[in-house]
Amino acid sequence: MQHFALTIVGRDRPGIVAQVTEILFNLGCNIADSSCSILGGQFAMILIISHPQFTSRDSFGEAFRPLEDADLTVALRVLKPGGEVPPHFEGEICMISVYGADRPGIVYRVAQVLGAKRINITDLNTKLVGSEQRPVYVMIIEAILPAGVSEQEVDVWMTPLREQLQVDINVRTIPQVEL
Amino acid sequence: MAVRPILIYPDPRLKQAAAAVAEDDGSVADLIQDLVDTMVAAGHSVGIAAPQIGDLRRVMVVDVSSSKLGQQQSNHGLLEMVNPRIIERSGSRVFREGCMSVPEYTGNVTRAEHIVFEFTDRHGRLRVVESSGFEAVAIQHELDHLDGLLFLDRVSSLKTDVFRRKRG
Repeated sequence: MQHFALTIVGRDRPGIVAQVTEILFNLGCNIADSSCSILGGQFAMILIISHPQFTSRDSFGEAFRPLEDADLTVALRVLKPGGEVPPHFEGEICMISVYGADRPGIVYRVAQVLGAKRINITDLNTKLVGSEQRPVYVMIIEAILPAGVSEQEVDVWMTPLREQLQVDINVRTIPQVEL
Repeated sequence: MAVRPILIYPDPRLKQAAAAVAEDDGSVADLIQDLVDTMVAAGHSVGIAAPQIGDLRRVMVVDVSSSKLGQQQSNHGLLEMVNPRIIERSGSRVFREGCMSVPEYTGNVTRAEHIVFEFTDRHGRLRVVESSGFEAVAIQHELDHLDGLLFLDRVSSLKTDVFRRKRG
C-alpha cells in the first residue's frame, strides 16, 4: 500500500487533532505512525498515513483545504516503497542529557560528534527553560549504541564538549530486560 | 507438574486483577510448580505471574539468578510468592522492559530501585525480603500482572518509551 508522510503545523488551539483526523477518517486513511506535540506556541503533527486506493498526491484532491483555511500549514510527502518500515534498532539504548546556559551550537556540536561516530539518534527534544534573564537550554537525546560502543566511550567523546560549551552532559544506557 | 501456555495480550485475563489466595487453598503448590515449569521452559524468562497462564490468583515466581544481569548483583534465587505485597519502596531507575505477554514491544518503565516486600511462601510461612536492582524491578513487573497492569500502563510516552522489538 502507498504510504504518505503528512505534516501539519499551526498556532496551537483546541480541536486541531479532531479536525485533521476527521478528514483522514472520512477519506478512509489509516494512521500507521504519528507524533504530535506543542513546539513553542505551535502544534505540530507528523503522521505516516496510507489508503488502500490512494497512489499520489492528487488522490487527496482538496481534502486538506479546510485545514489551510484554518491557518494550518499542510505538507504531504509521497513515500518511496518501504519508506514506512521502521528500521531495526540493534544495540543498546543510550540517553544523553545536555543542559546549561543557552548558547549557540549546543545541538549541532553534540549531534556532530554522534554523527561522525555513526551513532543513530532515534529521538531528540530540546527546550528552553529557566527565566528570561537566565535561560537554560535542555536537550535530551536517545541514541542507539551499536555493538562495541560503550556508555563510557560516549561519555569520553562528550568530555571536550562539556568544556567548550560549558554544559553538563549526562550519558546513561538503559538496560533491556525480558520479564 | 506442567508447562502451561502463556497468554498474550489482548487476552482479557491479563487486564483483570487477581484474587488473594485463601489460606486453605490446597492447590496453590501445584500452581507454583506450573509457574516455575513455565518460566523455566520459556528459557529467557526471569519471572511469571499466575494471570499470565490464565490463573487469577495472586501467585508469582521470580528467579533472576540465571540471567546475565541478575548474576551481576545479589539476588534471592527462586522466589515463590503467594499474596505478595510491597511494603516499602525507594529510589528509582529505568529499565527497558519486555514482557512475554506483550511480544514484539519493549517500553521504558521507571520502577523503585529498592523494595521491601512480604509474601507467603509455598509452605505457608510469611516472609519479608529486601531486594534491589534488577530483581526488585522483576518483582514489581510481576506484581503488576496480579493487578491487571502491563508495562504499557506504566510508560508515559509512546514516542520515546515504546519500541517495536527487533523481530527474530
